[in-house]
Amino acid sequence: MSEAMVEFAAAPPSTGGGGLLRRLNLLTAVAGGVLFAAIGWYISHRIMQLGDFGSDRVVTITLICWALGFMVGIGAFAGPLRWLLGRDQEHEDEMFLAGKDQGIGRYFRFTTDHKVVGIQYLVVTMVLFAVGGTLAMTIRTNLITPNSGFLGPQTYNAVVGIHGLVMIIATIVMVTGPFGNFIMPIMIGARDMAFPRLNALSLWLLVAAVPILLSAAFLGGIPTGWTGYAPLADQAPPGMDAYTMTIIVFAMSSAIAGVNITTTALTMRARGMTWSRTPIFVYGVVASVGLAIPAFPMFMSAEVLLGMDRSFGAQFYVAAGGGSPWLYTNLFWLMGHPEVYVIVLPAVIALMEITPVFTRKPLFGFNVAVLSIVGIVGLSVMVWAHHMFTTGWAPDLNGSFMLTTELISIPTGLLFLVIIGTIWRGRVWTTLPMMAVYAMLWNFIIGGVTGIYLSDVPADYALHGSMFVTAHFHYTLMGAGLTGAIGALFYWFPKMTGRMINKRAGLVSFWLVQIGFNVTFMGMFAVGLAGQPRRVVHYDHLFAVGNFVSTMGAYCIGVGMLILLYAVVSSWRHGAVAPANPWGAKTLEWAVPNPIPLENFEVLPVVISDPYGYGEGDPVLPPTQRELVPVGAPRDPVAEDDTETSQS
Amino acid sequence: MSVRQVVMGVAATVIGGGLVVSLTGAILSRTSAQSKPLHATVKGTAPTAEGTLPHAFLDLSTYPDSMGGPHGGDGGTHPDWVTYGPTTDLRVPAHSLVTMTIKQYDTGGSLNNPYFAVPYGTVGGTVTVDGKTVSTVDPDGVGHTFTIHGAPTNQDPLFVSVPLPAVSDDAEPAPNSDYPPPHVVTFSFITGGKGEYVWNCEYPCGDGYYARFGGPMATRGYMSGTFTVE
Amino acid sequence: MTIPAQVGGRVRSWMNRPEMRGVFWIWAAMTAVLVVFSLYVPARLMGPPASPTMHAVENTMTVFTVAASPVAAAVWSVALYSLLAWRHRGSGQPETDGPPIRGNTPVTALWLVLSSLLCVFLLIWGLAAMQSVTAAAAGRVPLQVNVVGQQWLWSFSYPGQGDIETDQLYLPIDQPVVFHVTSKDVVHSFWVVQMGIKIDANPGETTVTNVTPNKLGTFVVRCAELCGLLHADMEAAVHVVSADDFAAWARGRRSPPVESSPPK
Repeated sequence: MSEAMVEFAAAPPSTGGGGLLRRLNLLTAVAGGVLFAAIGWYISHRIMQLGDFGSDRVVTITLICWALGFMVGIGAFAGPLRWLLGRDQEHEDEMFLAGKDQGIGRYFRFTTDHKVVGIQYLVVTMVLFAVGGTLAMTIRTNLITPNSGFLGPQTYNAVVGIHGLVMIIATIVMVTGPFGNFIMPIMIGARDMAFPRLNALSLWLLVAAVPILLSAAFLGGIPTGWTGYAPLADQAPPGMDAYTMTIIVFAMSSAIAGVNITTTALTMRARGMTWSRTPIFVYGVVASVGLAIPAFPMFMSAEVLLGMDRSFGAQFYVAAGGGSPWLYTNLFWLMGHPEVYVIVLPAVIALMEITPVFTRKPLFGFNVAVLSIVGIVGLSVMVWAHHMFTTGWAPDLNGSFMLTTELISIPTGLLFLVIIGTIWRGRVWTTLPMMAVYAMLWNFIIGGVTGIYLSDVPADYALHGSMFVTAHFHYTLMGAGLTGAIGALFYWFPKMTGRMINKRAGLVSFWLVQIGFNVTFMGMFAVGLAGQPRRVVHYDHLFAVGNFVSTMGAYCIGVGMLILLYAVVSSWRHGAVAPANPWGAKTLEWAVPNPIPLENFEVLPVVISDPYGYGEGDPVLPPTQRELVPVGAPRDPVAEDDTETSQS
Repeated sequence: MSVRQVVMGVAATVIGGGLVVSLTGAILSRTSAQSKPLHATVKGTAPTAEGTLPHAFLDLSTYPDSMGGPHGGDGGTHPDWVTYGPTTDLRVPAHSLVTMTIKQYDTGGSLNNPYFAVPYGTVGGTVTVDGKTVSTVDPDGVGHTFTIHGAPTNQDPLFVSVPLPAVSDDAEPAPNSDYPPPHVVTFSFITGGKGEYVWNCEYPCGDGYYARFGGPMATRGYMSGTFTVE
Repeated sequence: MTIPAQVGGRVRSWMNRPEMRGVFWIWAAMTAVLVVFSLYVPARLMGPPASPTMHAVENTMTVFTVAASPVAAAVWSVALYSLLAWRHRGSGQPETDGPPIRGNTPVTALWLVLSSLLCVFLLIWGLAAMQSVTAAAAGRVPLQVNVVGQQWLWSFSYPGQGDIETDQLYLPIDQPVVFHVTSKDVVHSFWVVQMGIKIDANPGETTVTNVTPNKLGTFVVRCAELCGLLHADMEAAVHVVSADDFAAWARGRRSPPVESSPPK
């Protein structure tokens, strides 16, 4: 028994407090949110309706009240409140919060167990993708012919903005949320996250933000695209207030998640897990959330200023009032460019984690991989103004931003080297996760190369704001990012659900999505090069063929995604029961039994090698030290507490 | 699970998902529909610079609030917004002389771009205001503009822009009306081949919004619409 | 300088390994296909250029795609060859592991050097192209056109031609033009599609771009920054005409008060 367990056992018996805490769940949260929102609406409506900026103030206050009420109702403030009253939660409360001995109900509560949070993130991500995907289908349906008239311009603009923001939020959390929370702590040999309550807090803040975002649909939409450029955003209907509140709540959620995940990875790795023995996926997750920590406050402050513009006439972005639209674009892209790496890095690196398992080879160039991640993270905060070459802001800086942007292709290229070096001469085992690796190699090369065109200032003058850009970032965020997340889902599904995923349905879905994806966005590249702007409700007949092809491809993606949904849901319920380690992988999460016990490890593992020792005999040690390994040591690198092997 | 179960499950998911998407699309499509189209009435022919063409007539009004437009007697969701009426979906015949009459009931002020104080694309470059034919109006006394434009490629170019002078701020309501007597603005232009255009108002009349171009200016069915040459 | 015989021998024996040959041929075939694609597709999709600027952009697209071809082919050929040659064909986990290759310093170094060289090439190419765009405006006195973007129309005025104002752009061929672009309300982006220039129209600021049209015909201005309801309709025609036609057009469009003022 570990020290922690002993301490828990020695805690005094419960005095029976916390009864209210036990009754809080998603229902009470929604009730609390609605109640607070109704009160906020009524009061603000009575006071402010007739004044200037009345509707914006009312909407903002109502949404703030919703978020507060929701968090009260889910029990997010129970812990801090008790601290204020001078007592902490008792052991029993902690165990209740961790979801001990509870059934499905724990997934609808403020549960601190990282595995529950991971599953909650997975479901929220899937819901967001379903919403964003539905909107994508309506967008593509509208663009099926040059002037289909399916959606009016106002609805179209609103749908484009909501699609964009829903998808951006979904892709930001799609890897670090489900897998960073569920898998990463087990992977490093920890019993939970460093701050379990913050973990639950970040998840429920995200859940609180989703209805705020969707409320935009009923408040006039987000007619600015997901970028929310001011001063168009100053002019927009109250849906824009929902946009600012979504970003503010989501930025809090991601900052909390970032601090929590980073701390966990820094401090809670198992004994013996030196940095060179830490699985590469942990680096990917830390790089992602670590980048989010400086990036999202920029976005949040941009939106706070926008909110003040809209509700108080502050004119931060209004040139006539002394403000500047360039203030918004700078703040936005200071977040926006790190943000694409927040999305892409963990997804690509999840596939990097997967590759050795399905080629039965060590990761090629572990240090190279780490250095390239560091390089990308470092450079990614210095490239933001490549989104602003055509704005007219500081044209003299265009050259330097072109330099930093093109430099980033060097570490990105090294990521490819690591993956193909690992595949080279491997026993390529073409499972669903490995197929995702191949799909990513195809898509991300195309996304990367087209990114280089856009980094070239004169070429960007021609291509900026066209469908070419739309196709480019879908190739990176969807072709590399989402493909990586789906690969990760296929890979970790047996561990997260205890079931094997239906391979046949998975295969059909994989090919439909990948073929549909390439058809959709190749068509989009073509019309972009030919001169079709982004975000237009109708277009020149010149672009008719490309758009029709795109729409057909999009329907193909839609069907493929629905089949994926079926595969996930049906396999989760009825799939074949998975063995503890179906892929023969060597990272720690495969060493724990299915289903995973509450605190993962009965005995904390000691790590004596990195998890990539394929084909090297076990465990991986320099030849001179091999004889020191006790006979009959387990095949995986998990050693029992007492097998203290001499290590550096 | 048997193959048959999987196939059934996949089919059910795809059909169910397709239905959800279609329903969402249908709702979105419906919410963005305009009020029913207004077709120009063709009455005889008229001699023009391009020969004798069918003569079509179209009547519109601009109201200072939404009581008089296509939004219902209670003014719809935004009773205080300015609006065009009776509808914003306009249809005119191709290769015709179109004479439009707009009753302008609204007050106004200064254009943000004096460019729009001059009529463009009308026969003779003029506009008739309350029976008086002029080739420019006071850019500081404009209530709205009626400005047709559209993609210049793959259809005949059509650019018609007409300023609609403002009603005086202190004008009294006319008898049996909520509004003061309107300015009656008449102008004609010649349509080319078939095409799909849009029209909007270029006088910043979206009060309370940035650049006064939000609200009714940025909402379909108020100060903008479609103009179809068919 | 000669390569030591030992190193040369190692490289030769490395190149003679069957997998290296296999990868080489796949790579060569893919590169060839991609180069042909690069030479014919991207520039053609962009349409015939109407200015030296657009011509340079299309060149850049072609050259960058050609340059990217061997890199993309390298990644794909290694992945494809591995799949073809070493695919595990059982249903379960492979019985044996692959060779424990933990890295390869010469290959990594080579990759790093090549990608850095490629990056330097891209940078120099881009800077040179930027320079040529700027230099194109120098020399002759450009025709100034003031561009005003507003929701949801472009209007143009010609300060050197007596401030004539139009909804369509008329430009004389082979004459440098400088656009002074601003906005009345939100951010628009002034994009002359076939001339490869684009600059945002910002409220309260004037941004500048320039181009020399070198092809007669009718082209199009589109708005490239979402600007609200009728963003998709914010287009205008651009007519590039001969210098004489331009002068005639300008005379015809000049409004009477300007004509009555004394000529400068």
